[in-house]
Order: sequence, then C-alpha cells, then structure tokens
Amino acid sequence: MEKKRGETIWTSLDRKATAIAEFTMRQYRTRISTWVVLGVGFLAISVVLLFYIDAMNTDIEAIDNDGDSYDWDGDGYVNGQEIKYGTDLNDAFSHPGLLNPPIEPEPASMYINEDDYDWDYSDASSITTGYDNDGDCANSSLLLSQQDGNGDGTPCNIILRYDSLNGGYIVFADPYVDEDPDEDRYGKEAQHRAFILGIGKLGFVFLLSIFIPLFLATGLIRDEMTSGTMQYMTAKPIARGEIFLYRMLGYLAIVWPYLIMLCSLLALVSGIMGPGDQFFRFGDLGVWFSILIAALLATLVYGMLFAFLGVLWKYGIILALPIAAWELGMALLSMSVPESSFLRMSIVGWSMSIIDSGAYLAWPDMAMFTQAGEWAGGSNQGDTFLMFGGNELPGYGALEWAQSDLGLGLGPYATTVVSVIVLLFQATFFWFIGQLIFKSKEIV
Amino acid sequence: MIPDIAQEGSAQEEQWVPEPKAPVVMFNNVGKTYGRYQAIGGVSLALSGGVTGILGLNGAGKSTLFKLLMGKLQPTQGEVRLFGTNPWKNPAPYARVGYVPENENMHDWMTAHEFVSTFARLHGLTRDEAKQEAERVLEFVGLSDVMHKKIGRYSKGMRQRAKIAHALVNDPDLIILDEPLQGCDPLARTTIMNVIRELGRMGRTVLLSSHILSEIERITEQIVILHQGRLLAIGNLHAIREQLDNIPHTIEIECGDAKALAQDVLSLEVVHGLQFPSPTKLKIFTHHLGEFHQRLPKIIVDNNHDVMVINNPDDDLQSILGYLTGGYN
Repeated sequence: MEKKRGETIWTSLDRKATAIAEFTMRQYRTRISTWVVLGVGFLAISVVLLFYIDAMNTDIEAIDNDGDSYDWDGDGYVNGQEIKYGTDLNDAFSHPGLLNPPIEPEPASMYINEDDYDWDYSDASSITTGYDNDGDCANSSLLLSQQDGNGDGTPCNIILRYDSLNGGYIVFADPYVDEDPDEDRYGKEAQHRAFILGIGKLGFVFLLSIFIPLFLATGLIRDEMTSGTMQYMTAKPIARGEIFLYRMLGYLAIVWPYLIMLCSLLALVSGIMGPGDQFFRFGDLGVWFSILIAALLATLVYGMLFAFLGVLWKYGIILALPIAAWELGMALLSMSVPESSFLRMSIVGWSMSIIDSGAYLAWPDMAMFTQAGEWAGGSNQGDTFLMFGGNELPGYGALEWAQSDLGLGLGPYATTVVSVIVLLFQATFFWFIGQLIFKSKEIV
Repeated sequence: MIPDIAQEGSAQEEQWVPEPKAPVVMFNNVGKTYGRYQAIGGVSLALSGGVTGILGLNGAGKSTLFKLLMGKLQPTQGEVRLFGTNPWKNPAPYARVGYVPENENMHDWMTAHEFVSTFARLHGLTRDEAKQEAERVLEFVGLSDVMHKKIGRYSKGMRQRAKIAHALVNDPDLIILDEPLQGCDPLARTTIMNVIRELGRMGRTVLLSSHILSEIERITEQIVILHQGRLLAIGNLHAIREQLDNIPHTIEIECGDAKALAQDVLSLEVVHGLQFPSPTKLKIFTHHLGEFHQRLPKIIVDNNHDVMVINNPDDDLQSILGYLTGGYN
C-alpha cells in the first residue's frame, strides 16, 4: 500500500478501532442471545417500575398518631376539639357545645394528620423548627416550663441537632408538637427515594451491570477462539491487545446506549409519577445521572473482567460466578455498612458510592428526612402520651435500607472522583491482564 | 489509544521493515509438541517465491506448520521466521501475509463484501479504500456477482473463495492456504486453482496444503512432503514421481456402464489392470497417474460416458509416502 499524506499511527489505529468495534457491535446485533439478555433486563426493571407506579397511586392510610380524633367521653366532641377549647376530655358534661356561644362539633377527620411536620430541611446545622398546628401544645394544661421541654426558651417547638459523632440528627421536641404527621405525604416521598436508590443500586449497578457483562462479555474473545473465527482477525497486522480493547468498544456500543435508554425511561416515569406538586421532579435528575455513571462504569469494569476470565479459561463463566456472588455480598454490605474496608476490594462498592454521592448532593435533606421517619411524631420516644401509630412512618424502612452514608469519609464530589478513578483503573487493569493472557494463548 | 507495551514488535506496518535478504519463510529445526504428542519435529525449511504445495496425510502437521508461521502457535523448539521476523506475539509481518485457515467456521451473518472490507480495514485502510479493495479481490476470486449475499448462504466453494479474498487484501507477498480445495465442487476447485496459479505468476510466494497429490500436481511442481510431523521430501514433484511409476495407483470411477467405459479405457497403454466391484463401478490400475488423468477426460467426453464420480483416494499419496518411508505406512 502506498503511504498517504496525513497518515499517522493515530489515523490508522482509528480505522482498526472503528472496524473492530463496528464489527463486534453488528455481531452482537445478529445474535438472539443479545436480545434475550437485554430483553430480560428490561422486563425485570419494568416489573419493579410497575410496583413503583402502583405504590405511587395507592394512598397510604392516614393514622391518628396522637389519638385526638377519638371521643373518649362520648359527648360528640372529639378530644382534639375539646383540647382546643379547654374542656374535659373525660367528662361528657364538659364540652365546647356548652360554651357560650355554643360550638358545633367538628368531624373526627379534622383531627387526623392535623399536626404534620413543618420541618425546614434546608438548614443542616442545628435548627429550630416545628410548629404546633393544632394548638394542643399551647392549649394543654401543661405549665409554660413544661411546654418548653427542650429548654430553648420557646414553648411548643422542635430543635434538631446534628450529631457529628454518629452522622444523624437528634430530635429535641416539646410535647404535642408535630405529633400527628401525614403518613401519605412522608411515605410517598420516602418510597419514591427508596425506589430510585434501590433500583439504582441493586437494579442497575448490581443486576444489570453484572448479568449483562456475564452473558455478553465473557464470550467476547473466547467464543471467537472456540469457533475458530478468531483466525481471521489475528491473521491481520493488529496486536491482540488492540483486538481485546476494540471488541470491548463494540460491546460498550451495545450496552451503554441500552443503559442510557433504560435509565432515561425510569427517570422520566419516576419524575412524572413521583410525589410533589410540580409537573416533573427535576431535583431527582442528579441521582439518576449518578446512577447512570455508576452503571456505565460498572458494565465497563465487569465487561473487562469477564472477557479476561473468558480468555483465561474456556469455562470462564464458572470463574465469573463466584465473583458475581462476592459482588452481591458487597452490594448488600455497601448498603448497610458503607464504610467497610471489604468494599474497597469490590467493583460494586465503588459504583455504589457514586450513587450515594449523587443522592447526597441531590437530596441534602436526606439525613434529616430519614430521622423524621424514624421519630414519627415522637411515637418512638417514651414521653409521648399516646402511641396509636406504628413506631416508624411508612416508607421509612425502605428508605433506610436503600440509602447509605458516604463510606469513604470524603465529601460527595471527592467520593465521586475517587470512585470513578478507581473504577477506570480497575477496567484498565483487567484489560491489561486480559490482553497479556490473550497474547500468550495459542489459537488452535 | 493506549500503546501496547508488552508487545515485542509493533502493529504498525509503517514502523516494521522486513529483512530484505531473509527468506520469506524459514523454519529452523522447529518442533511443536502438545503434551506428549509431537505434531511437528525437527522441521527445517526455507522458501521464497513461487507456489509450494505442502503435502501430507491428515495429522501430518500441515496446519501446525502454518499456524506456527502465523504466530498462532508457539514453537516448543527451534525458530520460525516470517520475512526474518519472529511471528509469535508479533503481528507486524502479517501486513504482508494472507492466511486462509482450514477452519470452516466463518462469520455467516456478514456478506462476503462486508467480511472482506471489515478485515481490510485492519490493514489501516479507510472505509472507502477497504470497500474498493474488497471489490477488487472478490472480483479476482470470481465472487463479484454474489458478494452482497450472506456468507451463511454460500456453498462450500464460495466460502473458500471468500476466505481467499479476505487473505488477498492489501496485496500480500506471501499467501498461505490451508486445504483450500477441501470439500469444493469441481467448478470452485478449478476457479481456486486458477487463482493460485495466477498468484504464482504474479510472483507471490504461495504455500498451500493438501492431502491429495493430484490436486497439488495441477497447480505446482514444487512440493514439500510432511509425514507424521517430519519433513519427508522437498523438491520437484516430477523427480519424485519418476521413481514412483513402478508403484501401481488405483482410480475408482462410478459410471452408468462400467463395461463400456472399461473398453475405452483399456485402449490407453498406461492402464495395466481393471476390476469390476459392481456393474456401475470400475477400478483402474495404472503406473502413470498424471498421464492417465490427462487423457481420461477426453475419453469420457468422446464416448459420451455417463460418469458420476471419479474417486482418487489417498492411495497415490499413500504410495508415495510408502515409497519414501521404505515401504511402511
């Protein structure tokens, strides 16, 4: 071949790279197995999405956490109304109807979820929040000093203090303040966030990012070696390390658009279906973006790893299975003990810390929000006078399970950068080892 | 992209310069063993230019020899040189080599044109250059009219020609064909033989393997005989054949009327025996296989015989090998 002007190593490399990547991509497209794997992944995610849509459309039953919708003395006036007018809850002949002028009885439903949280989640340091909506703190027979249970000088409020030692918030509440939260409002938001984090971590980073490479990348080099068609490619002036790399590009050209599409679909549906008055929850997009980045990197690293295992041994998938099991353990570990050092020896741990960072940035109120679910209007504290509701608000359990703190002890941006670098290093490492082994393999 | 630091040579043809004085192909006391099985032992050979047939029975080590040359296998002993360069772990010399593997698996989902042009781009051609080059080589092997059909729908002979086209991209100086005629119909056989002869005329170094002597004979006189992994003979086929004429060869012909054919065949002085295993089968014994094969077609056509199969079993190669190894097989 005559050498052409402007010809450099780079242009020629580029030709080889695109040739093999395109070839690999088309090869994937002609295989039914590719579509089966991608289709099953899509179905699995869709089923979870249906559960989410169902949850968003189902009202969460309102619970009267403080019990003031009851009428203890049977005089037709519920406790809440009697407290408001200072009549005796236990005396049928003491009720607001006997006042002058007489007051009409209010329906019991007015005293359910009537004292919802008024917390301002935006200030993260130490804040005074909470408002006695139903006035049962101010109207109670408590002394003024008792109404200021937390001793900040203001009666009937709540103080949240950040606990830097344990990373959470401690609630110092005056009695009867925010004691009947709206289960539906809290639960929807908590379920919504738990869904995004759960599907991001277990759906995208674990399930899709492990199983798609397991089925698609393990044979990336191996299948060609077994069938003998690798003979054609290796007969050309191209190093095997390049073949490995460029075929990986072809694999990514199939897998990455698929993930982008699936992630966008979920972001769109959950953004519209999610709780809130706005048309679309733009605030969640940051989390979806971090989920996408985590999944893209995870499929890259797992792809390199499994392709390398395929080159290493004819039955590389057998080597890949214990790794998948280890990664499942690490996935669960990272959700409960995100600071565990075992996670540093995994791929999933690093990917998930990208999602945690994204959630930390998109939802800065997360720590306070989860604390609100656990506090549940004080029903967890011993000093509440009634415990009609559960111990925790609905959705709190799921959210607590799906979310985790930043495990690296760094800020969200630093965690993301470090995790991305580590994942890219892992990918390069597996590629390097893989091509080294591939080069020393005899192609029979 | 990331440079390949572990590589001995470079994948870039621009940087790789072949040894001008080195033979195209050189084996120096090369051996290859798989565990305790020796596929090749002590092979020394140097070839440059012309068409050379590598002849041997199945398992004689022909494919192993080629794979050593293509850097797909690592020799356990001795050294292999391709244009003076060690091909193991070094793909640089392949810029000037075309290889047609014996393997029958191909990328059935591609058209021949896509197959050839995709792999042509690995020579550093642009998309358009690769397309032109693919059209050129497919024309050369006579597949122009079907080049946009899927390889999966090709006959055996067309597949072989597509493989040859893939090897001829970038006009290589050395073409290695592993059993290129195996399983091909007569038409494909003739086309492929013509292609190989043409390549020889163009001054390329061509190596092809076969286990059928008469096939090789029609293409080249320069042969290398491999037997059980050892180099048995190198040289002009005629010289070897001269000595072989004392040994009878057998040809089996299946035809409509064996007796009628027998009468006509007997008129040839080279035929010295006949057998009738069945009414439609004729066994012919001859000392001059080449001459017989030259004259047989005319007899068939002139007398309008209805010939179904001409079976030229491994007998002829067997007998050469028997002769060369001193009567043992």
